[in-house]
Amino acid sequence: MEAEIITFPTKLIDRRWLSTRTFEIKFRKPASYKINSGQRIQIYYQSMQRDYTPVSAPGDPEITFCIRKVDTGKFTSVLSTAEIGTRFDISAPGGYFTFKPSPRPPVFVATGTGIAPFCSMARSGVTDFTLLHGVDSPQDLYYQAKLESVAVLYMPCISRACQSSIKYFHGRVTDYLQKHLPTAVYDFYLCGRREMIRDVTWLVDEKFQDSRIYTETFY
Amino acid sequence: MKIYTGTGDRGQTSLFSGERVAKSDRRIAAYGDVDELNSSLGALVAALADKKPDLTDRLRQIQADLFQLSAILAVTPDSPAMDSLAEITDSQIMELEETIDQLDAQLPSLAGFILPGGHPTAAWAHICRTVCRRAERNVSRISDEYVAGKAASQYQLALVYLNRLSDYLFVLARYCNHLHGVSDTLWKQK
Repeated sequence: MEAEIITFPTKLIDRRWLSTRTFEIKFRKPASYKINSGQRIQIYYQSMQRDYTPVSAPGDPEITFCIRKVDTGKFTSVLSTAEIGTRFDISAPGGYFTFKPSPRPPVFVATGTGIAPFCSMARSGVTDFTLLHGVDSPQDLYYQAKLESVAVLYMPCISRACQSSIKYFHGRVTDYLQKHLPTAVYDFYLCGRREMIRDVTWLVDEKFQDSRIYTETFY
Repeated sequence: MKIYTGTGDRGQTSLFSGERVAKSDRRIAAYGDVDELNSSLGALVAALADKKPDLTDRLRQIQADLFQLSAILAVTPDSPAMDSLAEITDSQIMELEETIDQLDAQLPSLAGFILPGGHPTAAWAHICRTVCRRAERNVSRISDEYVAGKAASQYQLALVYLNRLSDYLFVLARYCNHLHGVSDTLWKQK
């Protein structure tokens, strides 16, 4: 009894480089395709497949992903070079990393392109969240203007010391939470590297007890 | 890709609804037993070795039902996460009852207690049955958390499902012996 995977054919319609390593890629949204902000999609190309979470809102006419090119990555290599018009297949959306309104203040924590689900949530109307975005350098802060405009607090956490006109916290997201987030009960949404998810989870166990934690690991 | 995150290394784990709880929490014990039951059913399916596709298909459906049941147990009753889960329905229980009746109709009548065992597939079915009863006991221990609304009705259906599933597994054990020409051994008091 093989599980049947339903896929939808789509086409690459645009690619835009955001930095030397990171690009946005747009696919035509299949007719009657339903997705919630924060859900992920598998992209299939030949015998390869990878999971990505769109940065676009569910109501947008296209599905947009933000991808960081991996030096040794075969799939990101395909995505970064495929000609406009190339056929890909995508799965139905999956996962439960969606925004759940509650009386507790939401705290979003992302590393790198793990910002994607939060970007989609902000574009679909979620506001008044605290957002920490952990990156290596200021050029990795994509979607800053949009996120900043709807967040209670938007704080880039930049691990490498740098000269920048933007206001940022020098250090890891965990350090920021430890030093600056007031002790209270929150809904934490964590998306990014598993080390970040582990460290923030442990910190929540110690400092923000009774909070909720929802996680999505980006590899 | 690495499967481990390490978030549970300090004795806490996350519920589907986002809360952090001790791994010794009675809720974790409850869905842990459902997980063990599911794995035991997997062993039974493997032992049947696709010789009876109708039986193995049914068991795989039950394994899928148990995932659904585990998810409900991994959500605190007042959480909005409950709304994102597929509901257990009466029809899933009715399907179990129909399967019990179909199998039972093919078996010789029962004249007393039987010793669990016989053919290896029957022995696995008995192990599944007893794990199922333990799951049911541990699920009933968290009944005070489910007092109202959708969560309470889902919890009640989960209990009924496990109760009926134990009966199914008892009949299935006897059916597995019957299928392989092995007689059930009646318990004789010394």
